[in-house]
Amino acid sequence: MAHDEHHDESTPSAVNGDGELYGILAEYDTPGALIAAARKVRDAGYTEFDCYSPFPVHGIDEAMGIKRTILPLLIFGGGCAGALGGILLQWWTNAYNWQWNISGKPTWSIPANVPIAFETTILLSVFTAFFGMWILNKLPQVWHPYFRVERFARVSDDAFLLGIEAKDERFELTATTKLLKDAGALEVESCFLETDPARKNMPKWITALIVSSTAFALIPFAIAAKARNSHSAEPHMHIFPDMDFQPKFKADTASDLFPDGRANRGTIAGTVARGHLNADDLFYRGLENGQWTQGFPRQLITKDSSDSEVTQLVNRGQNRFNIYCAPCHGYDGRGDGAISKRVAQTGGTWLARNLVEAPNEKGDGGVAVKMPNGQLFNTISNGFQTMMGYAAQIPHADRWAIVLYIRAMQRASNASYEDVPPHQLEGMPAVPPTMAPPPPPASAPAGSGAPPPAPAPAGSGAPQ
Amino acid sequence: MTALSKSLHPEEKIKAGKLGSSLSKAGMAIAVVFLGISIVLTLFGSADTNSGHASKWARFLHAYVIGWAYIFSISLGALWLVMLHHLTRSRWSTVVRRVAEAMSSAFPIIFVAGLAFIIPLLAGYKDLYYWNHPDAHDPVLNHHLHHKLGWLSPGFFAVRYVIYGVIFTGMASYFAKTSRKQDESGDPKLSEKMRIVSAPAMIVFALATTMVAFDILMSVAPKWYSTIYGVNFWGSACVGGFAALALLVLGIQRTGRLTHSINADHYHDMGKWMFAFTFFWAYTAFSQFMLQWYGNMPEETHWYKYRLFGEWQWVSIAMLVGFWAFPFVFLLSRWTKRIVPSLVFFAVWQLVFHWLDLYWNVMPSYDWLEVTSGGATMNAGPLMGNVAYHHVGFSPVDITVWIGLVGLLLVGIGRNLKGNLIPIKDPTLGLSLSHETM
Repeated sequence: MAHDEHHDESTPSAVNGDGELYGILAEYDTPGALIAAARKVRDAGYTEFDCYSPFPVHGIDEAMGIKRTILPLLIFGGGCAGALGGILLQWWTNAYNWQWNISGKPTWSIPANVPIAFETTILLSVFTAFFGMWILNKLPQVWHPYFRVERFARVSDDAFLLGIEAKDERFELTATTKLLKDAGALEVESCFLETDPARKNMPKWITALIVSSTAFALIPFAIAAKARNSHSAEPHMHIFPDMDFQPKFKADTASDLFPDGRANRGTIAGTVARGHLNADDLFYRGLENGQWTQGFPRQLITKDSSDSEVTQLVNRGQNRFNIYCAPCHGYDGRGDGAISKRVAQTGGTWLARNLVEAPNEKGDGGVAVKMPNGQLFNTISNGFQTMMGYAAQIPHADRWAIVLYIRAMQRASNASYEDVPPHQLEGMPAVPPTMAPPPPPASAPAGSGAPPPAPAPAGSGAPQ
Repeated sequence: MTALSKSLHPEEKIKAGKLGSSLSKAGMAIAVVFLGISIVLTLFGSADTNSGHASKWARFLHAYVIGWAYIFSISLGALWLVMLHHLTRSRWSTVVRRVAEAMSSAFPIIFVAGLAFIIPLLAGYKDLYYWNHPDAHDPVLNHHLHHKLGWLSPGFFAVRYVIYGVIFTGMASYFAKTSRKQDESGDPKLSEKMRIVSAPAMIVFALATTMVAFDILMSVAPKWYSTIYGVNFWGSACVGGFAALALLVLGIQRTGRLTHSINADHYHDMGKWMFAFTFFWAYTAFSQFMLQWYGNMPEETHWYKYRLFGEWQWVSIAMLVGFWAFPFVFLLSRWTKRIVPSLVFFAVWQLVFHWLDLYWNVMPSYDWLEVTSGGATMNAGPLMGNVAYHHVGFSPVDITVWIGLVGLLLVGIGRNLKGNLIPIKDPTLGLSLSHETM
């Protein structure tokens, strides 16, 4: 080939390769010399050239005439898109598509959206910076023709190289080599492409291997496709039988080992789990001699308990009541809690049982007032009509504390003149000797049917 | 670039000469004229009783606290740059470090100037900090405040003030003096020594800055809580510090000094820092706001209530747009930081808004409210009552005191602009001279 024959001062030393000329590569001694050479090459009008150095050389961009990258603009665009996208995302999800009332807070409020929008801005900016850098640098690039030039391997060590590619319009082997040498090159080498190895025929065994392994890899898919489109009475194939058939029983399955044919073993008669005897009928069930108790568990308070012990228990009851009961029964026990208000907002009517309402003159109504303590306790434990039981959530002692608190509320709601302590009577207006209990709220009748005769008949708390 | 390291240009003028003394004189003239005007305005003015203050010096002293925090923060920003430079072995900043050292050496004058509001406190002046008002001790009216009064008592406050003065003056003078020592000996070990000192000094700096912000600025609203306050103040301070540094360096170049050493690349980096802290300020300001807005607890939100509603909301919006959005968007670009007129515009702009930031922090707490408690008329202090009660109530004293104190800052800087304006024997000087900002 042409480049092998004439090898004088004006042409570069050749590098192996039997294809066409890719370019010539010049080595310079220092980064400064590289910059000076790059400036000369640029001034000579070349555009298809690049510099290679072990570390970033400041000022090389300007010397090579590289325009400033547009990456910052792209990042700015990415950041703006991120900010806008973050705001839109939150607007769409929170304020438009799925409005959700959280503690009455507005569904759309700018300050709450700032942190998310900030993060999406950063995210898209960084993505744009990272991927934009790769794309603009045409990375990843796993192979380059110069890799075959031996001195190019030193570019990550101590070589400062400048390569001009043959595809440049002004490229002319002799003149370009001279230019690089005049610029102080230590050595100039030309780099030829090898004949494209892909054009050679591939060995037959590789072809066979590829075809057979591809076919082999398709087998599982073929089996899956067959299984999806056919029926079979054959049992499963068991690859690990001892894992598929373990010598144990699963819960709630049949078993011929035991006479009753069940895998489950029930509790053995006469045994009680540790700590679950619950023998005290009064404390655990509210029963006394088979009847709802009118009394109160002695282990909580007795007649001898001090005021502070009682107050402590009432306060505990209030605390539990406000957590578990108030959502339906309301904080004052009149049956119009948050649920009831929410129903009213959506146009319906629903009231829980009024716990503090007293019976009328005929003795009707006032169900909760008339209930014995034990029955109140049982209602909390096991529920009543649509009210579910709270035995799982509220420990026994706390249920009794709630009973006590309900009694305190009933007393307070139906108080008489005589209940006011003497030292607080001073300054109160004269009051008739007997004070009628306050009338229930006008909205007391419940439900959808005809208004019942009594203000709060049994079961009036039930919806529907 | 043909060499990684340059040496000083042979014709470079690096001596300060008379520059420092003329700056001092100009600063002194400004201080005398504007503080004089402020005093005259106050003496012939009348007490602002609508704001709940019996004393006519209340406005003057509020403005003085703002102005003091302003000049303190600019020196603070410069000191931070000096310490960061040593801590990270920076290279770009070597050429401007001597100017930053001069700026941070103004602390003695700043802390002497601050005695103008410390001494009245010790004398029992009650119209500046509400915690120094007798009614602040009322356990009914100020239940949650009177637990803080052990810390916020004039004696302890003054002691802390002296400690801050010693800390900041000491740190600034250590770095400035060691740097000048290197000018003579050229000993590279001095750089190493300053680097070792700068690490613990940075921790002391952070704690002391936070405490100064709590004591001097945040305690004008003593019933409020914010733990990020000091960080926010530091962010704002560094905006001011880097803006002032860029302007000062430019002014020095205008006198024909350092013309070859400092170029667009160095301005670019100062602009970058200004930009970074512009965003950092907004970040911390929003962090402070958002937690309190979301938590919605009265002991925290009252502070924002008077700033985000009523007349002050316009100042708040101006802060959002002027101190963050506008400079942020424009300083993103490389060119706004490299082209000198543009950088000057934004430096001046941010210096004004840095003052407005401090003004916005302090002045809404100027309006105090008198209430009737237990049958007696008592002063409930700042941030009480109706939103409509809190006025921007701009007074010319606000500006004149500020300018006067900036004059004092110039005196402090000018006194230290002497000898070499560049650390001539610093081992990193060559790298700094050839610094390029990509």
